[in-house]
Amino acid sequence: MLDKIEQIVKNFNSEIENATQKDIFEEIRNKYFSRKGLIAELFEDLKQLSKDEKPKYGQLLNQTKNELNAIFEKYLENYSSKNLESSFNLDLTLPSKKKNLGTKHILNQTLLEIKDIFKGLGFSIYDGPELESDYYNFEALNFPKDHPARDMQDTFFVNKNFLLRTHTSPVQARLMQSTKPPIRAIIPGKVYRNEAISAKSYCLFHQVEGLFIDKDVTFAELTGTLIYFAKQYFGENVKYRFRPSFFPFTEPSSEVDIWWQPKGKTGRWLEILGCGMVDPNVLEFNGIDSEEYTGYAFGLGIERMTMLKYGIDDIRIFFDNDKRFLKQF
Amino acid sequence: MLISLKWLNDYIDLSDVSIEKIEEKLTASGLEVEEIIDYKSKYNNIVVGFVESSEKHPDSDHLSICSVSDGNSIYNVICGAPNVAKGQKVAFAKVGAIIPNGNLEIKKAKIRGVNSEGMLCSESELGLSENHSGIIVFDESAEIGKNIASHLQLDDVSFEISITPNRADALSHIGVARDLAALFNKNIKLPEINFQPIAKNIAEFAKVIIENSSDCPRYSAIIMEDVKVQESPKWLQDRLKTIGLRSINNIVDVTNYVMYEIGQPLHAFDLDNLSGKTIIVKNASENETFITLDSKLHKLNSNNLMICDAEKPVAIAGIMGGENSEVTPNTKNILIESAFFNQSSIRKTSKQLGISTDASYRFERKTNPDITIWAAKRAAQLIQQIAGGNILDGILDIYPNPIEEKIVEIRFTRIYKILGYSIEKNIIKDIFLKLGFEILTENNDFLKIRIPLSRPDIEREIDLIEEVARIYGFENIPEITRINVTLNKKIDQTSIREKIRDTFVGLDFNEIITNSLLNKETAEKFGNPINLLNPQSSEMTHPRPTLFAGMLQTISRNLKVKENNLKLYEIGHIFNQINPEIVDFSDFQEIDSLLFAITGFSSDEEWFHSKEKFDIYSLKGIAESLVQNIIPNKKIRFEYFTGANSYFEYGFVIKIEQKEIGKGGKIKSDICNFFDVKQDVFAFETSINNLELETEEQKFKPLLKFPKIQKDMAFIIDKSVTSEEVEKVIKKGSSNLLKNIKLFDIFESEAIGKNKKSLAFQLEYYNEQRTLTDEEVDKEFWQAIEKVKTELKAELRGN
Repeated sequence: MLDKIEQIVKNFNSEIENATQKDIFEEIRNKYFSRKGLIAELFEDLKQLSKDEKPKYGQLLNQTKNELNAIFEKYLENYSSKNLESSFNLDLTLPSKKKNLGTKHILNQTLLEIKDIFKGLGFSIYDGPELESDYYNFEALNFPKDHPARDMQDTFFVNKNFLLRTHTSPVQARLMQSTKPPIRAIIPGKVYRNEAISAKSYCLFHQVEGLFIDKDVTFAELTGTLIYFAKQYFGENVKYRFRPSFFPFTEPSSEVDIWWQPKGKTGRWLEILGCGMVDPNVLEFNGIDSEEYTGYAFGLGIERMTMLKYGIDDIRIFFDNDKRFLKQF
Repeated sequence: MLISLKWLNDYIDLSDVSIEKIEEKLTASGLEVEEIIDYKSKYNNIVVGFVESSEKHPDSDHLSICSVSDGNSIYNVICGAPNVAKGQKVAFAKVGAIIPNGNLEIKKAKIRGVNSEGMLCSESELGLSENHSGIIVFDESAEIGKNIASHLQLDDVSFEISITPNRADALSHIGVARDLAALFNKNIKLPEINFQPIAKNIAEFAKVIIENSSDCPRYSAIIMEDVKVQESPKWLQDRLKTIGLRSINNIVDVTNYVMYEIGQPLHAFDLDNLSGKTIIVKNASENETFITLDSKLHKLNSNNLMICDAEKPVAIAGIMGGENSEVTPNTKNILIESAFFNQSSIRKTSKQLGISTDASYRFERKTNPDITIWAAKRAAQLIQQIAGGNILDGILDIYPNPIEEKIVEIRFTRIYKILGYSIEKNIIKDIFLKLGFEILTENNDFLKIRIPLSRPDIEREIDLIEEVARIYGFENIPEITRINVTLNKKIDQTSIREKIRDTFVGLDFNEIITNSLLNKETAEKFGNPINLLNPQSSEMTHPRPTLFAGMLQTISRNLKVKENNLKLYEIGHIFNQINPEIVDFSDFQEIDSLLFAITGFSSDEEWFHSKEKFDIYSLKGIAESLVQNIIPNKKIRFEYFTGANSYFEYGFVIKIEQKEIGKGGKIKSDICNFFDVKQDVFAFETSINNLELETEEQKFKPLLKFPKIQKDMAFIIDKSVTSEEVEKVIKKGSSNLLKNIKLFDIFESEAIGKNKKSLAFQLEYYNEQRTLTDEEVDKEFWQAIEKVKTELKAELRGN
């Protein structure tokens, strides 16, 4: 019995020493440790021993089994780690086993930043369809049919009643019709303009619409909120101006310019958003009493905000999706 | 629109105000100055030069080598103009000058081996006219060395103003002057009208009939005899030039001049071509044709308002005159039309015929019906000054239903409620007065105001509040330091998309945003796309019915710049038509879709492992991680297809219970080829809605208090048996103590048999209530093995 054990241990040791492939490890495992393996066989043999011998050899056998098992696991582990640390000299200058992280599109990173600022001011975030009806895109926003105001937004039409929305403002009308004031929301999304593609304009871009309707919402609160936004996004020292403008769905209406002066270049005013007090016609049309409630609305372009912040001068690069560009941000 | 400073000064004295201040105030009041054109600096370094000598270039037939003096030095200049000659006074652009036509900067150059230090300019090069037949030759009196802007008395400044569609009143110099008067607290003065008509009564000579008075509420006309059509005098040409208009002849120039002065479009007819000396304003007959003065033929319909004589149409009302009655060099007698047309009628016709003119632009924004007579008389007076002739006594003026001025009340409390800051009553009143509004009633609560017809945009209290805010100045809005936040429930409908993006960041994917407009051929490959009525180009005619096209275009573009290993995703709307005609939102489907794709190698060759290609299992794993990360507490399952299915050669569907969540697989190679993609692409598509509907609030699951027991088994089995089948049989042979099965090894080799493979599984057993004994697990384990052996004809390895 003792000889038999010794022989098996010897064989095992030489076999495991020479194991260089995964298959061989499996074979060894089967040969020695399986249900009908050599060690199991030894335990079978144990049954034939006398009462006196049984405990002694039983103990030995258990000990041997555990030892062999430990040796096996150690060799296997060594093999599995491709002998890396043991067979190479420790060289900490080897390149790292780097894991890459992915990216969100830079436009969505800007959007996220904008969403965060307005979430902090207690705004909800809503969605809306891109293929819109003329009713929501224009009529409900005080753009009469056959009015030159419609020329301000070159429109892709599907037919005379359906179109690709030219702004995120139709969601204003949808919200007013479905929700009771107070309404305090921003609405991000894609909008479309029927314009030739160039470095400065694309057939689509992304907008964030803002809407706040309640009792006692004022123009001063609108300007204050947007100044806060501009400072959060562009920095405390941003130079801005509010400039009267015209949108059919707001009155008074304003555009906001910021002073933009890249290093070594002459500065200029750049428009970043349009805003105004919701026109009473729009409130009434969408079922809100304009004597009781007032509201403000604004809309800003995400591409423009991103181009300014990162010094990008060609809008088309956003939609080319060159991996070298995507990875930068 | 260009507004000339010199011209403005005819109506308002701006001599004490700087150009910068005017720009600032105009912009701050809503008339945005986009550009200031200072003609003096525009012609910097372009002076009157004297040609001292001119010789033929030795190496050219048409070039001359000239010596040109600017009064101080002599320069060598190569000139290609046929008319250059010694002794001429010319427009000499020196080095550093910028040629206005084309923005070319003049630099020292060598032309066919000879040095040239400047350029002699034509009128066209200087943007003075379209004449480019030769260089400008000034007369003897021109002073050598003088800047040509000064020499030509073009030392004006023009403001390029962007006028919003509501400000029809600001489409003229007097209109802008009116705003400036309010902004700088000045008065405006209009030109005096003062001429002596002849003793011939217009009413006995000609007549006007309006048949459609809703589209033409007012028609005024004045008649002149014996005018002399000729070139306009220099002052008039210069004025038009500074606002970018071309001079035509003295009659047409005056009508344009008055339009840019007061905003009333005018049209001059050759009276001798007006049959019956009659003007009839009526709608065209259906399918009638008409030739406008630009010699274009138009087909009309019965909605088009026309100006006709006794026999025929002579003008498209408010848009453009006809060739048959235009003023020509032979014209002697003219009728000047000064009318007020309905804005939407003009806009419809202008859109329908595709003609937009300075006149239609103003009419469709609504002109002032009160000024027709003033404008007609003003034109007559100017024409008489520069073209002679006699003005008939009186004016034809048909105005059956005079339009009344609006009277609007404005409450002081309302001003505060809208603006949120208070403005003194006196300042408010002053703003209205300076804008030319009349205050009818005044008390502590409100003002009652009469609005002149020049301001059609002001009809309501809110319009008046805007005027107050605009003129008072947005720069004077007090800054606020706190806001009110409502405490109603906040919603974020975009949060799931943000969670998906976060997941993809972790999975090393790059997000893309592609053009959602596709061409017909591409769009139709992927669904039932919707056709745009008026696309920008044939490349962008259909809103995308899928994200696949944009994805494959992106992959293709990246492969071209050798970015071969890609993990990309896009979230965006897709559009499919359901019913043949879109009359309602139910006739099409708009879905917020999600697509991700992988192609190339998942990892590069590294010192610690070899490179690995993306395959269907990579895709399956990413899809599983993504879906399970968004929907953590629901069990997902896979169904597979090995035959072609939609855009895939083979692939899988992820389901939760019976509901399909998404579908993925290897994209068919013919689709890849269409996009010039020559490597395998694996993609998975789902929709935001599919994922969102399955999400529910996550709850904590208590941690396991008892040990897990893991046991391994390996089988040699027929190649045709799938891993899933084996797992199913193992489950069948086990109780609920078996919690997980994981395949951890698979291999095929000659040694185990040609049609065989080896599969090794790790089984995990536990019970949430107690510790399992070795015996019960062993029993389970061996039962499972026996089941696999008998049901799948498998052989347990290592036995």
